[in-house]
Amino acid sequence: MDGDLLRTQGLTKRFGGHTAVSGVDLAIRQGEIHCLIGPNGAGKSTLFKLIVGTHTPSAGAIFFQDQDVTGARPYQRVQRGMSIKIQAPSVFRELPVRLNLRIALQHHVPRAALAAEEDRLLELVELTADAARPAGQLSHGQQQWLEIGMALALQPRLLLLDEPTAGMSPHETHRTGELIQRLNAQGMTVLVVEHDMTFIRQIAQRVTVLHFGKLFAHGTIAEIVADPRVAEIYLGNTHAA
Amino acid sequence: MFLSVNGPQTAGNGRAFWLAFAAVLAAALAYPVFADPYDVGNFAYLLLWVFMAMGLCLIWGYGGMLSFGQTFFFGISGYAYGVLAINFGGADGTTFLALVLAVGLSALAALVLGYFMIWGRVTGVFFGIVTLSATLVLAFFLGQTAGPEWRIGDARLNGFNGMGGMEPLNLPWLDGDSLYFEGTALYYLVVALIVLVYLGLRMLVNSRFGNVLVASREDPQRAELLGYDVRKYQLAAFVLGSSLAGLSGVLYTSWGQFITPSSVGLPAAAMPIVWVAFSGRSDITAALAGSFIVLLLFQTITVYSQQAALILMGAMLLATVMLAPQGFVLGAVRGLARAARRGRLAGQEA
Amino acid sequence: MFAELFSFLYQFADVFAFLVLSASGLAIVFGMMGVINMAHGEFIMCGAYVTVALVQAGFPLPLAQLGGAVAAGLIGIAVEALVVRNFYKRPLDSLLATWGLSLVVTQGLLLTVGSTMPGIGTPPGSFTIGQYTFSTYRMVLFGCALAVLGLIYVVFMRTRFGVHARATMQNAAIAQCLGVQVGRVYGLSFGLGAALAGLCGALYAPTMTLIPTMGATFIVESFVTVVVGGANVLLGTAPAGLLLAAIRAGLNGWGGQIIGQIGMLLAVIVIIRILPDGISGLLARRAR
Repeated sequence: MDGDLLRTQGLTKRFGGHTAVSGVDLAIRQGEIHCLIGPNGAGKSTLFKLIVGTHTPSAGAIFFQDQDVTGARPYQRVQRGMSIKIQAPSVFRELPVRLNLRIALQHHVPRAALAAEEDRLLELVELTADAARPAGQLSHGQQQWLEIGMALALQPRLLLLDEPTAGMSPHETHRTGELIQRLNAQGMTVLVVEHDMTFIRQIAQRVTVLHFGKLFAHGTIAEIVADPRVAEIYLGNTHAA
Repeated sequence: MFLSVNGPQTAGNGRAFWLAFAAVLAAALAYPVFADPYDVGNFAYLLLWVFMAMGLCLIWGYGGMLSFGQTFFFGISGYAYGVLAINFGGADGTTFLALVLAVGLSALAALVLGYFMIWGRVTGVFFGIVTLSATLVLAFFLGQTAGPEWRIGDARLNGFNGMGGMEPLNLPWLDGDSLYFEGTALYYLVVALIVLVYLGLRMLVNSRFGNVLVASREDPQRAELLGYDVRKYQLAAFVLGSSLAGLSGVLYTSWGQFITPSSVGLPAAAMPIVWVAFSGRSDITAALAGSFIVLLLFQTITVYSQQAALILMGAMLLATVMLAPQGFVLGAVRGLARAARRGRLAGQEA
Repeated sequence: MFAELFSFLYQFADVFAFLVLSASGLAIVFGMMGVINMAHGEFIMCGAYVTVALVQAGFPLPLAQLGGAVAAGLIGIAVEALVVRNFYKRPLDSLLATWGLSLVVTQGLLLTVGSTMPGIGTPPGSFTIGQYTFSTYRMVLFGCALAVLGLIYVVFMRTRFGVHARATMQNAAIAQCLGVQVGRVYGLSFGLGAALAGLCGALYAPTMTLIPTMGATFIVESFVTVVVGGANVLLGTAPAGLLLAAIRAGLNGWGGQIIGQIGMLLAVIVIIRILPDGISGLLARRAR
């Protein structure tokens, strides 16, 4: 559909005998916050990695801004306007916080404006006081925020977040939700893979539900929350696996 | 695009450091005035190895790739210089052409080998094993070339005896004479090259290129997810670092007017690793200073017993990995800096 | 015709034996502990030297060779306790540390014992087929290589130590929780790897000149075999040996020793590109 920033068509991934993702058609509209949910083992992480480019699909295609990126390597997708925060905290642990941001910024921002941009991002992720410390010394939640800051530094069209609130306290989770909403209000399109239903209810506009690697349901957050089938797959009334 | 010699990837950015640097440089430039020409030539010999050390520091310390191939490129360029110098004749500045071509050959070889390894996702310890294997195969091959049929133009490879008879670096000079870069002239040439390469590398590692290189060392996947084709940065570092090893090879061949396979194989292949590991591979200044110290130590002992010198090298490598993985020299400098800071703070409080 | 074919097979068997005998010890250590032992060549050298010393003291050759293997194994246990223990799952650091050790040992021996030691001759015995003459001893080596593979299989699949060892290879932490004395398993495994290296040296001692740096002859081949085979010695070493022996023997026959070595190295680079986890990685994935 036109106006879709990101679209997958029949996306499938097989690992040996196991099909992790099967024939998924996903559509992310420009300017929305879209959440990808599903029980454990549903294939959310695999789908995320297919979109990012870490895995190559066994079948199907991925379109970003109506251009086929199925064969593109991750760095090429990033150059086209995706920005990615993967699940495991991965900042440059030995390097200072400020340098982490600089590496994300340096290709998009002229040298003279670098320091000012770094300061702006430091303030946004509330790490101004820790700018000189090695990133590995930050708390878990702070590292997640630093990563979000680095993802934002790329000035992306589409922000992809894989479980950004993993390991965060409820308070930090809520603040992360507020940050994402602020960004979205300024026009950022966001795809979030998440487990935390409170967080999803806080931020999601549209939701896609995966189950056993297949597209199970999709719609607005209100529709999904009200759907009894979705509750069932989480609570386990379906046939045993 | 203004590049700075100071920055996050190098220790020693303050005024005190650069004053000390200027003092050391001044002393180095004044040295031949007071010293015996034989000693000056010896110093030049010691110094020509540091390019190989700085190159490995770039590849390993900044790029995160442990290459055992430094002597591979040392050998390629050394032998290439010999072949070219012998075939060109060695006069009219052709030796400098030979130098440029020989280093260029190493760069080309590094481009090919590096491409296969980096695009082939050969990383970590396998990178080391493949480069070591390439080095040992080259050494083995060169040792087999004793017969007269093993020649390139007029230059015989000569197997284990090594290739000799090439002209040292020289330039046409006044009155139809040639200036031969031996002794004091070689010393000044090498010092000038060291300053150029050292400052150039400082600028490189502190630039955007350096930032990405260091990021790829820390977390290649993360760097790629920031939009960088990490492979290109790693290949560039590998080619540059290997070419510097080639430069050492050319200077060595010019200095001694010979080169043998023993400069390529074991235990020679281990030496750059020892120098850089012991010094502290993550900083170019530590690698430069530390390598020089280790080379001096090695040369002092090897006069009495080469085996004893090599035993010491092996022991130093073992000790470094077990006790001070970040490098003894770098560790010592950082310790002193910390002590100095504490002393200053204590002084301020008093 | 038959003579030609047999000659090629003989060459193949010769290279296969060399690769398997030199690599199995290294593969066990790498597969078990994630340690690259650059002193591997020195355990080979140790086996060779002890064997020759025992023969010159009057022992019959097979007994002396066994002695060489055992000596190397015991020294291996000591080295593991003193040095290698600190470097599990750190292949780069273990590579450097053992390389330092290797330098110290080879140069130390050169200093104390000197560069050559009188060797022992290859056991006599040859047979002819067609116009070719073949050494019986080298056929014995082929038999030994097969025996070593069989021995490794039996030890790892049929003994209690083997079960503990395989569990530790899979997941040391869980194995420890189940009561496996992981430290002892590591020590014994490294000792086994060293003993196999010593056995390699002992078996080849009658065919080589004895110098302290003789380990270097085996280094490249054993490392590339381990790299191609992958971390699992049971699944990887034998197939890697077969593949590389075929390549090497073929190239040797076509272009000589140098072409053989360079060609094998190029083949290794290509193989690593296609199979980054080696043959055992490929087979393990297939099995899933």
